[in-house]
Amino acid sequence: MNSATHSYQPISTNVVKELSDLLGASNIIFNDPERLEPFSRDEAADCETRNPELVARPGNAEELAQLVRVANRERIPVTARGAGSGLSGGAVPLFGGIVLDFGRMNRILEIDRANLTITVEPGVITSEINEALRPYGLFYAGYPMSLETCTIGGNVAENAGGGKAVKYGVTGRYVLGIDMVSPTGELVSLGGKLVKDVSGLNLLQLMVGSEGILGVFTKIILKLLPLPKASVDMLCLFKTIDEAVAAVPKIMTEGGIIPTAVEFMDRLSFATSCEYLNESLPCADAGAMLLITVDGADEKQVEHDYDVIGEQCLAAGATNVYVADTHVNSERIWRIRRAVAEAFKVFSPHQSLEDIVVPIAAIPAASAAVNEISAKYGVKIPCYGHAGDGNLHATPVMPPEWTFEHWHGVLPEILMDMYKAIAKIGGHISGEHGIGHKRKKYLAAVADPGFMLMMRNIKTALDPNGIMNPGKIFD
Amino acid sequence: MKIIVLIKQVPESQATRMDETTGTLIREAASSVINPLDLHAIECALLIKEAAKEKCEIVCLSMGPPAATKVLREAMALGVDHGVLLSDRAFAGSDTWCTAFTLAAAVRKLGLPDLILCGERATDGETGQTGPAMGAFLDLPVISFVSHIEQIAGGWRARRMLEDGYETVEIDGPALACVLKEAAVPRLPTLQGKRLSRAKDIDIMSAQDLGVSQDDTGLKASPTRVVKIFRPSHLKKCEKLPAMDPAQAEKAVDRVVCLLKEKGLI
Repeated sequence: MNSATHSYQPISTNVVKELSDLLGASNIIFNDPERLEPFSRDEAADCETRNPELVARPGNAEELAQLVRVANRERIPVTARGAGSGLSGGAVPLFGGIVLDFGRMNRILEIDRANLTITVEPGVITSEINEALRPYGLFYAGYPMSLETCTIGGNVAENAGGGKAVKYGVTGRYVLGIDMVSPTGELVSLGGKLVKDVSGLNLLQLMVGSEGILGVFTKIILKLLPLPKASVDMLCLFKTIDEAVAAVPKIMTEGGIIPTAVEFMDRLSFATSCEYLNESLPCADAGAMLLITVDGADEKQVEHDYDVIGEQCLAAGATNVYVADTHVNSERIWRIRRAVAEAFKVFSPHQSLEDIVVPIAAIPAASAAVNEISAKYGVKIPCYGHAGDGNLHATPVMPPEWTFEHWHGVLPEILMDMYKAIAKIGGHISGEHGIGHKRKKYLAAVADPGFMLMMRNIKTALDPNGIMNPGKIFD
Repeated sequence: MKIIVLIKQVPESQATRMDETTGTLIREAASSVINPLDLHAIECALLIKEAAKEKCEIVCLSMGPPAATKVLREAMALGVDHGVLLSDRAFAGSDTWCTAFTLAAAVRKLGLPDLILCGERATDGETGQTGPAMGAFLDLPVISFVSHIEQIAGGWRARRMLEDGYETVEIDGPALACVLKEAAVPRLPTLQGKRLSRAKDIDIMSAQDLGVSQDDTGLKASPTRVVKIFRPSHLKKCEKLPAMDPAQAEKAVDRVVCLLKEKGLI
């Protein structure tokens, strides 16, 4: 059974009335294509889009549960949407139906200093969490590049990675509890403020990264850490991509220090971003950059750590190492990295932002494989991303002389080649953006068939009518 | 050639908190950085040095508690040659007049340079007075609102950004220039610069070193008195005029015309 075999019902006027009575008419958008259109897509470029039939803004868990029960009864697809900043088409309502907007469920419910947790509703903007925590000397370690716009619910549903995963890991490591509505409309509570918990199957972590196909969240408990007292960023310039890429495994293993972030940008990426930001940093001779962050409990420790890593970079061929130890300078260099995706969209809208992930020792091999594919097809594939995690955003860009049709004919071949090459060196097709519908046919082609079957069985068991975000991850 | 750049340590604005009852900054809580506009002054000095045919020495001068050595090291990491800190309990509570007086005394002690650069204003006090006042104490020509400065034979050429355009001035001999952020984009410190700056000495000068009497500096000698600090109240008023139908719209237009006449605008 798959989403293609389910038959979904259009939303009837009776259902609209029922939902309107439930949520209040002002919390429903229906029959208004202009206002529905923004909910038809996310940030994945050149992806299939579709307007939902209805957008609902539930105010609490009970309303959400009732809404899902109606949808399940009527066979109406339900797609949860955070801020729409996803990069896999995950929030696109491929079969129409209802899109859930969490704009009203956006409260920070509790900061528990005794247990080092924060409890939030899914619609909270990720960066607001750390703003709220700063006065307490605590922080939440998630740091997706879109943190100023994305929501925590979306982060958990995608198991977002981001810039600090080298040291702190990805979103899932910090999710201690989830309250959710199951696809059949039951309120379910998973986990809690517990550091360890083996009471039954680990469904909590099954939900993390489930891309909205197994249910929707109503409340999330996150683990907090003491806020590092000192943090320094370094921007290391290298002449060539190969030199920069080869430095990464050395930094990770030979210095005895775990950096907080190791970000990579090739020339095309940082030059595009700098132009977009009007940033005049002198980097004309650089072929690639590493952005490295170290943080810790005191300035002396951090000074020692950045000295060691900076020295490693110079030994590995870095031509210059800039040190940013003030907020203004840190922001200045991180902005370059964070703006790459946005800048590319402005300068070359037809592109495919990929998210390959390989073991860290295989980063040079991954870079070589991407170069080979780039040469084979005559297509530029700029590369940037979280090198310290082995996670690279290789981004094939449509050559300006190609037609759109030709591009769309060749792109699947490029991607298939890339994914197969990555699989050969022990990698997977997505490190943090997820499968959504953008990568689902590729996942089926390169993933273990047993794994695909197990995922399908879980989906069928939890969502017999296939209403939760159909058409995502697998058919 | 010698250039003195005045720098001030200010609380990092990202980390700044206000005392809600007194309306003042909680300075202890915030980490200190170089006043952002002073970074542009440092960059101007470095660019002049790089373009100069003769040997050029850049000295950064600051006044503040001993912890202000941190911002001087930051300046030296960018390429500044020396750091001098005026630090003495006697200086505490100095207003802009007194600060300028004390800094001027230090400049006389260090030897009058060819150019003194400072940022147009600091993010904490926002007065923009100290630079020009110092020029007055030293009897130096002051070039304010500088958006570009370069060395010419025997002096300086500067472009000033004014409300109605730019003005280019040329000036002979030593001068004091207050720069805007347009003057130059500050560079980032390098690892090598950071290391060099750690090893450098910073001269710390007291009131006695400057030959300034305790009665001429600090709170006592400052003519400025802070009488009251308060939050300005928002006096803007808003009147909503509904215009949902033609009759309402007509009434709204009449009201707007009436208001504009009242204010003497039409």
